Amino acid sequence: MKRYELIVVGAGPSGLSAAIEAAKCGVEVIVFDENEKPGGQLFKQIHKFFGSKEHHAKVRGFKIGEELLREASDAGVEVVLNATVTGLYQNKEITVRIGDAIHHYKGDTIIIATGAAENMVTFPGWTLPGVIGAGAAQTLMNIHGIQPGKRVLMLGSGNVGLVVSFQLMQAGCEVVAVADAAPRIGGYGVHAAKVARTGVPFYLSHTITKAHGTDHVTGVTISEVDSSFKPIAGTEKYFDVDVICIAVGLSPMSQLFKMSGCNMEDNPKKGGQVPIIDSYGETSQKGVFAAGDVSGIEEASSAMIEGRMAGVCAAQYLGYCTEEEKENKLKDLEKDLDSLRQGMFAPSNRGKLIEKTDEGIDVSMSLLTKGFVSDDEIERFPGVTHKVGVHPVMECTQNIPCNPCQDACPKGCISIGENITNLPFVTDGSQCINCGMCVASCSGQAIFLVDEDCGDGYASITLPYEFLPLPKIGDVGSGLGRNGERVCEATVVNVKNLKAFDHTNLLTIKVPKEYAMKARFFRA
Amino acid sequence: MNILSDRSRDIGEFVPAEDDDMLICRCEEVTKGEIRKAVHDGMWTITEIRRYLRTGMGLCQGQTCARLVKGIIAKELGISPAELEPATARSPMRPVEMRVMGNEEA
Amino acid sequence: MSRIENHPILGEPKKGKTVSFTFDGKTMEGCEGEPIAVALKANGVSVHRYTQKNHSPRGIFCAIGRCTDCVMVVNGKPNIRTCVTPLESGMTIQTQDGVAPKEV
Repeated sequence: MKRYELIVVGAGPSGLSAAIEAAKCGVEVIVFDENEKPGGQLFKQIHKFFGSKEHHAKVRGFKIGEELLREASDAGVEVVLNATVTGLYQNKEITVRIGDAIHHYKGDTIIIATGAAENMVTFPGWTLPGVIGAGAAQTLMNIHGIQPGKRVLMLGSGNVGLVVSFQLMQAGCEVVAVADAAPRIGGYGVHAAKVARTGVPFYLSHTITKAHGTDHVTGVTISEVDSSFKPIAGTEKYFDVDVICIAVGLSPMSQLFKMSGCNMEDNPKKGGQVPIIDSYGETSQKGVFAAGDVSGIEEASSAMIEGRMAGVCAAQYLGYCTEEEKENKLKDLEKDLDSLRQGMFAPSNRGKLIEKTDEGIDVSMSLLTKGFVSDDEIERFPGVTHKVGVHPVMECTQNIPCNPCQDACPKGCISIGENITNLPFVTDGSQCINCGMCVASCSGQAIFLVDEDCGDGYASITLPYEFLPLPKIGDVGSGLGRNGERVCEATVVNVKNLKAFDHTNLLTIKVPKEYAMKARFFRA
Repeated sequence: MNILSDRSRDIGEFVPAEDDDMLICRCEEVTKGEIRKAVHDGMWTITEIRRYLRTGMGLCQGQTCARLVKGIIAKELGISPAELEPATARSPMRPVEMRVMGNEEA
Repeated sequence: MSRIENHPILGEPKKGKTVSFTFDGKTMEGCEGEPIAVALKANGVSVHRYTQKNHSPRGIFCAIGRCTDCVMVVNGKPNIRTCVTPLESGMTIQTQDGVAPKEV
């Protein structure tokens, strides 16, 4: 039996981060992962991440994955792929299937970062080919370059459902609707808004009542549900689809902890069965740590920090750093983690209806139920102001931990203030130079550059655009409102694509000036 | 005392429901009705249901249905799913052929 | 054709060389190294197997090797997870019926 100072199970964001941090302290680390490639789910994330610079904000997930792999290789971390950990025993012994043999290893410390599995819901026809998990859709289109189907219904309006809906459209699929049994949208409003403005309808308080088809999905029926989630007869709506995508949450894959005898709890706020851990991930068994989604469902950004924390603790446990060095490192990491856990979507707020922002502004109810802020609600948010000439309009209406817009503006036009979750506002006396950096930097695609009167009764609107085909200068089409409905004719007057924008194209459209604060998307 | 330890507790008669033929365990093809009936046959724990019906015992090892089965049993017993002890976790965590299991390096 | 030829963020997908394989006796083409399930999808195949008890059709569900719904008979061996098994030139792939190849 080979012995390692640290064995990490799972080469996703948290496992790799843990291995890197421990290896940097001098620990001999080995990482086992059952997949063919390392990086876990990061390589499926093609959207820009939220957070601050420390959290890799405005960097796309797969780029963060590439950085992490480089860092791991620089730190001398050994990653064994196609290696399935089949058991964790007492005394930190593990069995791993590699090829056609079972190998035994013993770790002086163990970090389990096995992530999560997708939850499912049942409805007649849910086993038909064409009913897939949201993760499957991401894997097919973003890793393997193939469309899951042509027309998709998304069930689930959490961040996964919203992000994957957008990605499906980027892959050239049509999303016919996003449905959710809950009465309110679960994910970030900005994610919902960028889907809604392309014309995708949201059906809240709706569930799937039937998947149609004999050998493959050919359609879906959704129905409205009452307050006890029972379908209401007569509210059925049918959609012609070939894919039904399920995004109804994740459960920690924590079986290894249970097998080794760690103390466990069933914690709905963490997504299900998880090991009981201290604030740095140590379980009831000394030297056995949990990091990432397996210890409670959150985001990849927090998983990476949790991984680093566990890595540092393992290094200290093994005597590679002093208690004081550990405390110093943990202090910084804790600060980063705390800032991610703030705002309306903090784990402690899960399931709560928040009616006012920290600034005391009423949250848009239209956003929570339809996916877009209505025209009369938008004016009350601090990022939405009126000015002569080009100026940024920031339709950021919820307190989420994110601030790249503040750093993006070279002229200091945008401020978030001290708290990362505050709503952005335009600073007094600043002069916008129409560079578009803020538009491209906003992970929520919620910033627009507007000139409410650019002459001859027209207004210009610069918006983020991440679809193909890319419209060309001179193209005439429709300006769509926040709800995705046509509001006016629009002409493309500029298309900008700089390397610094990282594939977010900036489309400038000209619309009659009464639509300056209404048109937010362009359809050819 | 744990609510589950009192096996004489009356949980009522099995009442057929419209969605009893809904497939829950995709691998072993076990329906919601079969699980509900099993509870009334006296199978009150996830482990008992697994042995009785083979839910979660197929190729995927309950990866997909574990949470669903837990919810159905809990509802039938009138308790919260969190009160049910999850299934025993044991090696192998993923399906492994017997010839590989036998090919073990000490 | 469901392959994505150009993606606004990812550009053109990098693919292995074209190889041929057979599906239920029919010759098809796919990209070497991609999951068998992806090659089949590109050829319009969505039913991977029929279940043992109810003979109901199943296909890709999780696409990461967890749910085992997409298993097929590959080179004579049943229960192969096609979503995580790379395609090789000359592979014989058959729809699985229970645990045996489906008769065609």
